[in-house]
Amino acid sequence: MASFGRFIRLAVGACAFLLVIAASVPCNAQQVNPTASSVKEQQLLQELNRIQGRVSIPDQRSGVLEQPAGRDWREFRNVTLRWIGGIAILGTIAVMVIFYLTRGMVRLESGRSGRTLVRFTAFERFVHWMTASCFIVLAISGLNITFGRPLLLPLVGFDAFSEWSQWAKYAHNYLSFPFTIGVVLIFLMWIAGNIPNKVDVDWLKRGGGIVGHDHPPAYRFNAGQKAIYWIVVIGGGAVAVTGYLLMFPFYLSGIEGMQLAQIVHSIVSVLFIAAMMAHIYIGTIGMEGAFDAMGTGEVDLNWAKEHHSLWVEQEQAKGHTPSGSTPRPVAAE
Amino acid sequence: MKAFLAALLFAAIVAVGVSILLDAIQEPSYVAFTTGGARVGNPGHNLVGPNG
Repeated sequence: MASFGRFIRLAVGACAFLLVIAASVPCNAQQVNPTASSVKEQQLLQELNRIQGRVSIPDQRSGVLEQPAGRDWREFRNVTLRWIGGIAILGTIAVMVIFYLTRGMVRLESGRSGRTLVRFTAFERFVHWMTASCFIVLAISGLNITFGRPLLLPLVGFDAFSEWSQWAKYAHNYLSFPFTIGVVLIFLMWIAGNIPNKVDVDWLKRGGGIVGHDHPPAYRFNAGQKAIYWIVVIGGGAVAVTGYLLMFPFYLSGIEGMQLAQIVHSIVSVLFIAAMMAHIYIGTIGMEGAFDAMGTGEVDLNWAKEHHSLWVEQEQAKGHTPSGSTPRPVAAE
Repeated sequence: MKAFLAALLFAAIVAVGVSILLDAIQEPSYVAFTTGGARVGNPGHNLVGPNG
Protein backbone atom coordinates (compact mmCIF):
# COMPACT_ATOMS: atom_id res chain seq x y z
CA MET A 1 0.00 0.00 0.00
CA ALA A 2 2.85 2.29 0.88
CA SER A 3 4.46 1.59 -2.46
CA PHE A 4 1.16 2.39 -4.21
CA GLY A 5 1.05 5.76 -2.40
CA ARG A 6 4.62 6.49 -3.51
CA PHE A 7 3.67 5.57 -7.06
CA ILE A 8 0.74 8.01 -6.97
CA ARG A 9 2.93 10.84 -5.59
CA LEU A 10 5.51 10.11 -8.25
CA ALA A 11 2.86 10.10 -10.99
CA VAL A 12 1.32 13.41 -9.78
CA GLY A 13 4.80 14.96 -9.50
CA ALA A 14 5.67 13.83 -13.02
CA CYS A 15 2.39 15.28 -14.38
CA ALA A 16 3.05 18.57 -12.59
CA PHE A 17 6.58 18.70 -14.03
CA LEU A 18 5.25 18.00 -17.54
CA LEU A 19 2.65 20.75 -17.12
CA VAL A 20 5.35 23.23 -16.11
CA ILE A 21 7.46 22.22 -19.11
CA ALA A 22 4.47 22.44 -21.45
CA ALA A 23 3.51 25.87 -20.12
CA SER A 24 7.03 27.19 -20.54
CA VAL A 25 7.42 26.07 -24.17
CA PRO A 26 5.44 28.98 -25.79
CA CYS A 27 7.48 31.52 -23.79
CA ASN A 28 10.70 30.17 -25.18
CA ALA A 29 9.33 29.88 -28.70
CA GLN A 30 7.94 33.45 -29.02
CA GLN A 31 8.64 36.69 -27.11
CA VAL A 32 5.49 38.39 -25.85
CA ASN A 33 5.16 41.90 -27.34
CA PRO A 34 3.03 44.00 -24.98
CA THR A 35 2.37 46.64 -27.70
CA ALA A 36 1.52 44.11 -30.41
CA SER A 37 -2.10 45.09 -30.42
CA SER A 38 -1.50 48.88 -30.18
CA VAL A 39 -2.22 51.27 -33.05
CA LYS A 40 0.54 51.41 -35.62
CA GLU A 41 1.86 54.61 -37.22
CA GLN A 42 0.64 53.53 -40.62
CA GLN A 43 -2.86 52.84 -39.26
CA LEU A 44 -2.95 56.31 -37.72
CA LEU A 45 -1.91 57.94 -40.96
CA GLN A 46 -4.54 55.98 -42.87
CA GLU A 47 -7.27 56.99 -40.45
CA LEU A 48 -6.31 60.59 -39.79
CA ASN A 49 -4.03 61.51 -42.69
CA ARG A 50 -1.66 62.96 -40.10
CA ILE A 51 -0.27 62.31 -36.64
CA GLN A 52 -0.69 65.09 -34.14
CA GLY A 53 -0.80 65.63 -30.43
CA ARG A 54 -1.06 68.46 -27.95
CA VAL A 55 1.63 71.02 -27.21
CA SER A 56 2.04 73.60 -24.46
CA ILE A 57 3.21 76.49 -26.65
CA PRO A 58 0.65 79.00 -27.97
CA ASP A 59 0.64 77.72 -31.52
CA GLN A 60 -1.32 74.47 -31.37
CA ARG A 61 -0.55 73.79 -35.04
CA SER A 62 2.97 72.86 -33.98
CA GLY A 63 1.45 69.69 -32.50
CA VAL A 64 1.36 68.13 -35.96
CA LEU A 65 4.12 65.51 -35.94
CA GLU A 66 3.61 63.92 -39.33
CA GLN A 67 1.75 65.13 -42.39
CA PRO A 68 2.52 62.76 -45.27
CA ALA A 69 1.19 65.20 -47.88
CA GLY A 70 4.18 67.34 -46.94
CA ARG A 71 6.48 64.71 -48.41
CA ASP A 72 4.65 64.91 -51.74
CA TRP A 73 4.88 68.69 -51.62
CA ARG A 74 8.62 68.55 -50.84
CA GLU A 75 9.13 66.18 -53.78
CA PHE A 76 7.26 68.62 -56.01
CA ARG A 77 9.23 71.60 -54.74
CA ASN A 78 12.67 70.00 -54.92
CA VAL A 79 12.28 67.96 -58.10
CA THR A 80 9.15 68.48 -60.22
CA LEU A 81 9.11 72.27 -59.98
CA ARG A 82 12.75 72.52 -61.01
CA TRP A 83 12.02 70.46 -64.12
CA ILE A 84 8.94 72.52 -65.01
CA GLY A 85 10.75 75.80 -64.41
CA GLY A 86 13.90 74.74 -66.19
CA ILE A 87 12.07 73.50 -69.26
CA ALA A 88 9.75 76.55 -69.40
CA ILE A 89 12.50 79.14 -69.04
CA LEU A 90 15.35 77.49 -70.92
CA GLY A 91 12.88 76.32 -73.57
CA THR A 92 11.63 79.87 -74.10
CA ILE A 93 15.19 81.18 -74.32
CA ALA A 94 16.04 78.47 -76.87
CA VAL A 95 12.97 79.26 -78.98
CA MET A 96 13.76 82.99 -78.90
CA VAL A 97 17.38 82.43 -79.93
CA ILE A 98 16.35 80.13 -82.77
CA PHE A 99 13.65 82.55 -83.85
CA TYR A 100 16.03 85.51 -83.78
CA LEU A 101 18.67 83.65 -85.73
CA THR A 102 16.21 82.54 -88.40
CA ARG A 103 13.74 85.44 -88.60
CA GLY A 104 15.81 88.26 -87.16
CA MET A 105 14.30 91.56 -86.08
CA VAL A 106 10.88 92.28 -87.59
CA ARG A 107 11.79 95.39 -89.55
CA LEU A 108 9.71 98.41 -90.37
CA GLU A 109 9.17 97.60 -94.02
CA SER A 110 8.09 101.08 -95.02
CA GLY A 111 10.81 102.78 -92.96
CA ARG A 112 10.25 105.53 -90.42
CA SER A 113 7.97 108.33 -91.50
CA GLY A 114 9.23 110.84 -88.96
CA ARG A 115 5.65 111.41 -87.79
CA THR A 116 4.45 109.91 -84.55
CA LEU A 117 1.22 108.95 -82.87
CA VAL A 118 0.70 108.89 -79.12
CA ARG A 119 0.33 105.22 -78.20
CA PHE A 120 0.55 105.27 -74.42
CA THR A 121 0.04 108.16 -72.01
CA ALA A 122 2.53 108.98 -69.26
CA PHE A 123 0.27 107.35 -66.68
CA GLU A 124 -0.01 104.16 -68.73
CA ARG A 125 3.77 103.97 -69.06
CA PHE A 126 4.16 104.69 -65.35
CA VAL A 127 1.87 101.76 -64.48
CA HIS A 128 3.57 99.49 -67.03
CA TRP A 129 7.08 100.22 -65.76
CA MET A 130 6.10 99.98 -62.11
CA THR A 131 4.59 96.54 -62.71
CA ALA A 132 7.45 95.47 -64.97
CA SER A 133 10.26 96.56 -62.65
CA CYS A 134 8.58 94.89 -59.67
CA PHE A 135 8.02 91.77 -61.78
CA ILE A 136 11.71 91.51 -62.68
CA VAL A 137 12.75 91.71 -59.01
CA LEU A 138 10.01 89.26 -58.02
CA ALA A 139 11.05 86.86 -60.78
CA ILE A 140 14.75 86.90 -59.87
CA SER A 141 14.13 86.63 -56.14
CA GLY A 142 11.49 83.93 -56.72
CA LEU A 143 13.78 81.89 -58.97
CA ASN A 144 16.38 82.14 -56.22
CA ILE A 145 14.00 80.29 -53.90
CA THR A 146 13.68 77.42 -56.37
CA PHE A 147 17.06 77.36 -58.09
CA GLY A 148 19.33 79.32 -55.75
CA ARG A 149 20.42 76.42 -53.58
CA PRO A 150 21.53 74.06 -56.38
CA LEU A 151 22.83 76.72 -58.77
CA LEU A 152 23.97 79.83 -56.86
CA LEU A 153 25.06 78.48 -53.49
CA PRO A 154 27.95 76.40 -54.89
CA LEU A 155 29.22 79.49 -56.71
CA VAL A 156 29.05 82.12 -53.96
CA GLY A 157 29.24 80.15 -50.71
CA PHE A 158 27.00 80.01 -47.67
CA ASP A 159 27.55 83.49 -46.25
CA ALA A 160 26.94 85.38 -49.46
CA PHE A 161 24.03 83.15 -50.41
CA SER A 162 22.39 83.65 -47.01
CA GLU A 163 22.76 87.42 -47.12
CA TRP A 164 21.52 87.65 -50.72
CA SER A 165 18.60 85.30 -50.09
CA GLN A 166 17.50 87.23 -47.02
CA TRP A 167 17.39 90.54 -48.91
CA ALA A 168 15.84 88.84 -51.93
CA LYS A 169 13.07 87.52 -49.68
CA TYR A 170 12.41 90.99 -48.28
CA ALA A 171 12.27 92.40 -51.81
CA HIS A 172 9.99 89.55 -52.89
CA ASN A 173 7.56 90.15 -50.04
CA TYR A 174 7.37 93.93 -50.10
CA LEU A 175 7.55 94.58 -53.85
CA SER A 176 4.59 92.26 -54.26
CA PHE A 177 2.40 95.13 -53.08
CA PRO A 178 3.26 97.67 -55.82
CA PHE A 179 3.18 94.76 -58.29
CA THR A 180 -0.36 93.90 -57.23
CA ILE A 181 -1.39 97.54 -57.49
CA GLY A 182 0.08 97.54 -61.00
CA VAL A 183 -1.82 94.42 -62.04
CA VAL A 184 -5.09 95.90 -60.81
CA LEU A 185 -4.42 99.18 -62.64
CA ILE A 186 -3.45 97.33 -65.84
CA PHE A 187 -6.68 95.35 -65.64
CA LEU A 188 -8.79 98.49 -65.27
CA MET A 189 -6.78 100.65 -67.67
CA TRP A 190 -6.67 98.37 -70.70
CA ILE A 191 -9.68 96.06 -70.31
CA ALA A 192 -11.66 97.92 -72.99
CA GLY A 193 -9.05 97.24 -75.67
CA ASN A 194 -8.42 93.64 -74.75
CA ILE A 195 -11.75 91.95 -75.28
CA PRO A 196 -11.21 89.29 -77.97
CA ASN A 197 -13.02 89.88 -81.27
CA LYS A 198 -13.19 88.57 -84.86
CA VAL A 199 -10.18 90.62 -85.93
CA ASP A 200 -8.08 88.57 -83.52
CA VAL A 201 -9.15 85.33 -85.19
CA ASP A 202 -7.96 86.62 -88.55
CA TRP A 203 -4.74 87.94 -86.95
CA LEU A 204 -4.02 84.54 -85.45
CA LYS A 205 -4.82 82.70 -88.69
CA ARG A 206 -2.26 84.85 -90.45
CA GLY A 207 0.34 84.19 -87.78
CA GLY A 208 0.34 87.78 -86.56
CA GLY A 209 2.80 88.76 -89.22
CA ILE A 210 5.61 87.32 -87.16
CA VAL A 211 6.32 84.57 -89.65
CA GLY A 212 6.79 86.00 -93.13
CA HIS A 213 6.09 89.63 -93.98
CA ASP A 214 2.34 89.77 -93.60
CA HIS A 215 0.72 92.59 -91.60
CA PRO A 216 -2.75 91.49 -90.51
CA PRO A 217 -4.94 94.39 -89.34
CA ALA A 218 -5.36 95.03 -85.63
CA TYR A 219 -6.95 97.56 -83.35
CA ARG A 220 -4.98 99.10 -80.49
CA PHE A 221 -4.01 95.66 -79.17
CA ASN A 222 -3.52 92.67 -81.42
CA ALA A 223 -4.27 89.08 -80.39
CA GLY A 224 -0.71 88.52 -79.17
CA GLN A 225 -0.85 91.60 -76.95
CA LYS A 226 -4.28 90.57 -75.71
CA ALA A 227 -2.82 87.20 -74.74
CA ILE A 228 -0.07 88.98 -72.79
CA TYR A 229 -2.68 91.21 -71.14
CA TRP A 230 -4.73 88.25 -69.92
CA ILE A 231 -1.62 86.38 -68.82
CA VAL A 232 -0.68 89.41 -66.73
CA VAL A 233 -4.17 89.87 -65.31
CA ILE A 234 -5.00 86.21 -64.62
CA GLY A 235 -1.44 85.04 -63.93
CA GLY A 236 -0.63 88.15 -61.90
CA GLY A 237 -3.87 87.78 -59.95
CA ALA A 238 -3.14 84.11 -59.26
CA VAL A 239 0.42 84.70 -58.05
CA ALA A 240 -0.73 87.65 -55.93
CA VAL A 241 -3.51 85.70 -54.17
CA THR A 242 -1.40 82.58 -53.62
CA GLY A 243 1.58 84.69 -52.62
CA TYR A 244 -0.38 86.49 -49.91
CA LEU A 245 -1.67 83.13 -48.63
CA LEU A 246 1.99 82.19 -48.15
CA MET A 247 3.06 85.56 -46.80
CA PHE A 248 0.36 85.51 -44.13
CA PRO A 249 0.46 81.85 -43.07
CA PHE A 250 -2.60 80.26 -41.45
CA TYR A 251 -4.74 83.38 -41.73
CA LEU A 252 -6.97 81.89 -44.40
CA SER A 253 -5.80 78.31 -44.83
CA GLY A 254 -4.17 75.37 -43.12
CA ILE A 255 -0.92 73.71 -44.10
CA GLU A 256 -2.55 71.78 -46.96
CA GLY A 257 -3.96 75.00 -48.38
CA MET A 258 -0.56 76.64 -48.18
CA GLN A 259 1.10 73.70 -49.91
CA LEU A 260 -1.48 73.94 -52.69
CA ALA A 261 -0.96 77.72 -52.82
CA GLN A 262 2.79 77.22 -53.17
CA ILE A 263 2.30 74.73 -56.00
CA VAL A 264 -0.02 77.09 -57.90
CA HIS A 265 2.20 80.10 -57.12
CA SER A 266 5.37 78.45 -58.37
CA ILE A 267 3.96 76.86 -61.54
CA VAL A 268 2.10 80.00 -62.60
CA SER A 269 5.22 82.05 -61.79
CA VAL A 270 7.62 80.10 -63.98
CA LEU A 271 5.13 80.09 -66.87
CA PHE A 272 4.55 83.81 -66.27
CA ILE A 273 8.31 84.42 -66.43
CA ALA A 274 8.56 82.47 -69.68
CA ALA A 275 5.69 84.49 -71.21
CA MET A 276 7.21 87.79 -70.07
CA MET A 277 10.57 86.85 -71.59
CA ALA A 278 8.80 86.47 -74.92
CA HIS A 279 7.04 89.81 -74.32
CA ILE A 280 10.36 91.53 -73.54
CA TYR A 281 11.93 89.97 -76.63
CA ILE A 282 9.25 91.19 -79.03
CA GLY A 283 9.17 94.61 -77.38
CA THR A 284 12.93 95.15 -77.73
CA ILE A 285 15.16 93.28 -80.17
CA GLY A 286 12.33 91.31 -81.76
CA MET A 287 10.56 94.18 -83.52
CA GLU A 288 11.87 97.48 -84.80
CA GLY A 289 10.03 100.48 -83.37
CA ALA A 290 8.09 98.52 -80.75
CA PHE A 291 10.04 99.80 -77.75
CA ASP A 292 9.13 103.41 -78.58
CA ALA A 293 5.56 102.70 -77.49
CA MET A 294 6.64 102.24 -73.87
CA GLY A 295 9.88 104.24 -74.16
CA THR A 296 8.62 107.62 -75.29
CA GLY A 297 4.92 106.80 -75.51
CA GLU A 298 4.87 107.66 -79.22
CA VAL A 299 5.22 105.33 -82.19
CA ASP A 300 6.11 106.06 -85.76
CA LEU A 301 3.08 106.42 -88.01
CA ASN A 302 4.39 103.76 -90.40
CA TRP A 303 4.92 101.33 -87.53
CA ALA A 304 1.37 101.96 -86.39
CA LYS A 305 0.01 101.45 -89.90
CA GLU A 306 1.92 98.19 -90.32
CA HIS A 307 1.03 96.64 -87.00
CA HIS A 308 -2.18 98.39 -85.87
CA SER A 309 -3.85 99.70 -89.00
CA LEU A 310 -7.38 99.67 -87.58
CA TRP A 311 -6.20 101.59 -84.52
CA VAL A 312 -4.64 104.26 -86.76
CA GLU A 313 -7.98 104.65 -88.55
CA GLN A 314 -9.74 105.02 -85.20
CA GLU A 315 -7.24 107.61 -84.01
CA GLN A 316 -7.52 109.62 -87.19
CA ALA A 317 -11.32 109.43 -87.01
CA LYS A 318 -11.05 110.95 -83.51
CA GLY A 319 -8.91 113.73 -84.90
CA HIS A 320 -5.71 112.53 -83.23
CA THR A 321 -3.34 113.47 -86.00
CA PRO A 322 0.30 112.41 -86.10
CA SER A 323 2.85 114.94 -84.97
CA GLY A 324 6.39 115.50 -86.18
CA SER A 325 8.24 116.55 -89.26
CA THR A 326 7.07 116.32 -92.81
CA PRO A 327 6.57 112.73 -93.80
CA ARG A 328 9.38 111.11 -95.70
CA PRO A 329 8.59 109.19 -98.86
CA VAL A 330 7.36 105.73 -98.11
CA ALA A 331 9.62 103.00 -99.37
CA ALA A 332 8.31 101.00 -102.26
CA GLU A 333 6.61 97.77 -101.25
CA MET B 1 12.31 108.16 -68.76
CA LYS B 2 10.34 110.28 -66.28
CA ALA B 3 7.56 107.69 -66.20
CA PHE B 4 10.11 104.94 -65.59
CA LEU B 5 11.88 106.78 -62.76
CA ALA B 6 8.55 107.77 -61.20
CA ALA B 7 7.49 104.12 -61.38
CA LEU B 8 10.64 102.97 -59.57
CA LEU B 9 10.24 105.66 -56.93
CA PHE B 10 6.57 104.86 -56.35
CA ALA B 11 7.27 101.12 -56.12
CA ALA B 12 10.03 101.74 -53.58
CA ILE B 13 7.81 104.05 -51.51
CA VAL B 14 4.96 101.51 -51.44
CA ALA B 15 7.34 98.65 -50.55
CA VAL B 16 9.01 100.58 -47.72
CA GLY B 17 5.63 101.83 -46.47
CA VAL B 18 4.22 98.32 -46.38
CA SER B 19 7.30 96.99 -44.60
CA ILE B 20 6.96 99.66 -41.88
CA LEU B 21 3.22 99.00 -41.56
CA LEU B 22 3.59 95.21 -41.29
CA ASP B 23 6.51 95.57 -38.91
CA ALA B 24 4.31 97.70 -36.66
CA ILE B 25 1.26 95.43 -36.60
CA GLN B 26 2.87 91.98 -36.62
CA GLU B 27 4.75 90.17 -33.86
CA PRO B 28 8.03 88.45 -34.60
CA SER B 29 7.63 84.70 -34.75
CA TYR B 30 9.77 84.15 -31.64
CA VAL B 31 7.15 86.11 -29.68
CA ALA B 32 4.04 84.92 -31.53
CA PHE B 33 4.75 81.21 -31.33
CA THR B 34 6.25 80.78 -27.86
CA THR B 35 5.15 81.44 -24.29
CA GLY B 36 7.13 83.76 -22.07
CA GLY B 37 8.46 80.80 -20.06
CA ALA B 38 9.85 79.08 -23.13
CA ARG B 39 11.45 82.22 -24.50
CA VAL B 40 15.15 82.33 -23.81
CA GLY B 41 15.53 85.97 -24.82
CA ASN B 42 16.38 87.93 -27.88
CA PRO B 43 17.29 85.39 -30.59
CA GLY B 44 19.65 87.90 -32.18
CA HIS B 45 20.23 88.70 -35.81
CA ASN B 46 18.53 86.00 -37.80
CA LEU B 47 15.45 85.50 -39.93
CA VAL B 48 13.05 85.42 -36.98
CA GLY B 49 14.61 87.98 -34.63
CA PRO B 50 13.37 91.53 -34.10
CA ASN B 51 15.88 92.97 -36.53
CA GLY B 52 15.23 90.36 -39.17
